[in-house]
Amino acid sequence: MLASQIGYYSLILGLIFSFTLSFFATKDLTSPSKKIDQNIIVLSFLQFFFVVVSFLCLIFSFVNSDFSNETVFNNSHTTKPLFYKISGTWGNHEGSLLLWLLVLTLFIFLFIIKSINQPKKYRISTLLFQQIIIIGFFLFVLVTSNPFIYVFPVPNEGLGLNPILQDPALAIHPPILYLGYVGSSIIFSAALAAVIQNYINSEWAKHIKKWVLISWIFLSIGIMLGSIWAYYELGWGGFWFWDPVENVSLMPWLTLTALLHCILVLERRLLLTSWVVILSIASFTLSMCGTFLVRSGILNSVHTFANDPARGIFILIFLFILIFLSLGIFFIFHKEQYKDNKNFFWLSKETSILLNNWFMMYFLSVVLIGTVYPIFLDVISSDKISVGPPFYHKLIIPFLVPFLIFMVFGSRLKWIKSEISNKNLLIIFFTISITISFLVTKNFQVDLFLYTILIGTSLFLFFTTTVEFFNKKKILSQTVAHFGFSLFILSILLNSITSSEVSTNMKVGERYNYEGGEIFFKKIEEKKEKNFNSIVGHFKITDNRGDIFNLKPELRVYNQPIIITSEADIKTTLLKDNFLVMNTVKGNEYFNIRYQVKPFMLWIWISVLLISLGGMISFLRAKNEK
Amino acid sequence: MRILKTFLLVVLFINIANANTDIKDKNLNNKILKNIRCLVCQGQSVYDSESEFSSTIKLLVKKKINEGKSEKQIYEFLRKRYGDWVIFEPELNKNTYILWILPLLLFLLGGAIIRKKLK
Repeated sequence: MLASQIGYYSLILGLIFSFTLSFFATKDLTSPSKKIDQNIIVLSFLQFFFVVVSFLCLIFSFVNSDFSNETVFNNSHTTKPLFYKISGTWGNHEGSLLLWLLVLTLFIFLFIIKSINQPKKYRISTLLFQQIIIIGFFLFVLVTSNPFIYVFPVPNEGLGLNPILQDPALAIHPPILYLGYVGSSIIFSAALAAVIQNYINSEWAKHIKKWVLISWIFLSIGIMLGSIWAYYELGWGGFWFWDPVENVSLMPWLTLTALLHCILVLERRLLLTSWVVILSIASFTLSMCGTFLVRSGILNSVHTFANDPARGIFILIFLFILIFLSLGIFFIFHKEQYKDNKNFFWLSKETSILLNNWFMMYFLSVVLIGTVYPIFLDVISSDKISVGPPFYHKLIIPFLVPFLIFMVFGSRLKWIKSEISNKNLLIIFFTISITISFLVTKNFQVDLFLYTILIGTSLFLFFTTTVEFFNKKKILSQTVAHFGFSLFILSILLNSITSSEVSTNMKVGERYNYEGGEIFFKKIEEKKEKNFNSIVGHFKITDNRGDIFNLKPELRVYNQPIIITSEADIKTTLLKDNFLVMNTVKGNEYFNIRYQVKPFMLWIWISVLLISLGGMISFLRAKNEK
Repeated sequence: MRILKTFLLVVLFINIANANTDIKDKNLNNKILKNIRCLVCQGQSVYDSESEFSSTIKLLVKKKINEGKSEKQIYEFLRKRYGDWVIFEPELNKNTYILWILPLLLFLLGGAIIRKKLK
């Protein structure tokens, strides 16, 4: 009760500080002093501080199960474990927006105190652009999604949190993902500020690269956590479904990856200035689009927990304002100070980065068009179509082949003018890769030609990057990230061709023989937990190699809200996952059992971590450079 | 009625389990099921879902395959019955030319821009 009051008024205070801050910043922009007005730094801290207070109040209300607060009432329950009471704070629309705001204010505060070596006008302009976004979000939270609405009479019990959200990976997935999304707001503001202040140069590139890396690392890990969650919690054994909400997180990732590469060209050769600005604007705009698409409820997806048109319209208008503002600034203020027709030699690092951007933009266009097109079609002709995995696979997979080959060559090239060294070695690697790939692929019932080439080219990248580790002149971050990427594609491909599964109906005591071994349904056991009752199935699996292991999938009946979820049991080893999930068959004693053997699963996650590690190494190096 | 239905289901499943169906048939079956949207779920395919709708569709697809219908014919049948929404792979028709072709055009455009830069 009291906490809600404090939380609400802190938000209003935060908004007031934003206006004051904007006022002081505008004034300081024209002052002759070389240093930033100290008030601005204090105000920026206060703005952040009051959002923190507000956020803590909401957490406090959740922990205390204060059901006089509508958000808590709608999303919590007294019997929930403490951990999920806390994570429930951002497991809903209002709280997650408050988290957005928290990260927005945190990042601008960090930006102001960490950018001391940058020109004053540029820093203040960035702050001002960021304030536009922050004020927009303050208004959005206060007007359409206030997390501190009072319920009277006070209910005795809350409605509970959707059980599929009660999961450790999902508890940390949103905050990490938001750090990535919102981090791109700094890139957006900084790019606009740099355009206005005519500061798009290699100094700026060096400085903004760190922010790009931060967003990119968090976004990569955030997406991975969501994917891991989907893998074991949704119970289908897949890890990426081309669900609109997944796509929406992938889009800013693609632009950030493109930006990450082409910012190097700007840093080294002062080329592609406009392109860097466009990518910076696009990254944040796409993050905002993501918020809009998810929050407005126009998408059919497992993630949409708020279906309120007013909110959708607010974000849409806000989004349009930001897009027009940024494009306007870009066209009015942006001058190509450096002749962009300074030539690109065809065989050089900068050309290979252009090629990287070319493919990134293509992948982006596939994902963007695939996600948005059905919505437009529905509006225009009211025809509903689905754009699912086959669409993305058909348009993306064939393009991976040239992409991987360019990656092999691109990373070996030097700036300005280069040539390919060790040609013979590369040819040998390529031949070996294709041969191995052919020998592996022909054992499986898949498109032999396509998979031989796909696995072959990813092996090619795998071998060449592995050798690169022994090169003394290597760029470690790049080698780690590219090695991770080759491992990533390789694991996905091998996983997809070697996975096998059986699905059958069984009752207790039965044995089922499949091609690879035997499944024995030993017994079921009932368990009572604080917030759910569960039925645990005990299975013993004996495979043809003589490996015996026990798997215990669960069916959980959550009490608040009453929802049945099925929890897969996964035995993860270095080389493969054994995945078992059971479901009830309506009205009889049989259970539907789905048993999957999924080789190389672990390597998909490890490779994403390696890719992110590459980013971290690059970040640390950039940090120590100054 | 319900008992009859479940009985039929069980019998069918046992049949499926026992029958030595050709692996290719089974692969085709799975491929088709993965491409059909479960209309009563949130973004799940029929293959991944255990809803009543999905169970019906699974039986239906099985039946159609046994009748010797091709993948295309089965999709055609389902589209007629439930609309285009039910199939995950959008068909190439006047509604979807833009969807399929625009990304490829953008790719070509990008290539042209890069070519110009290199000159």
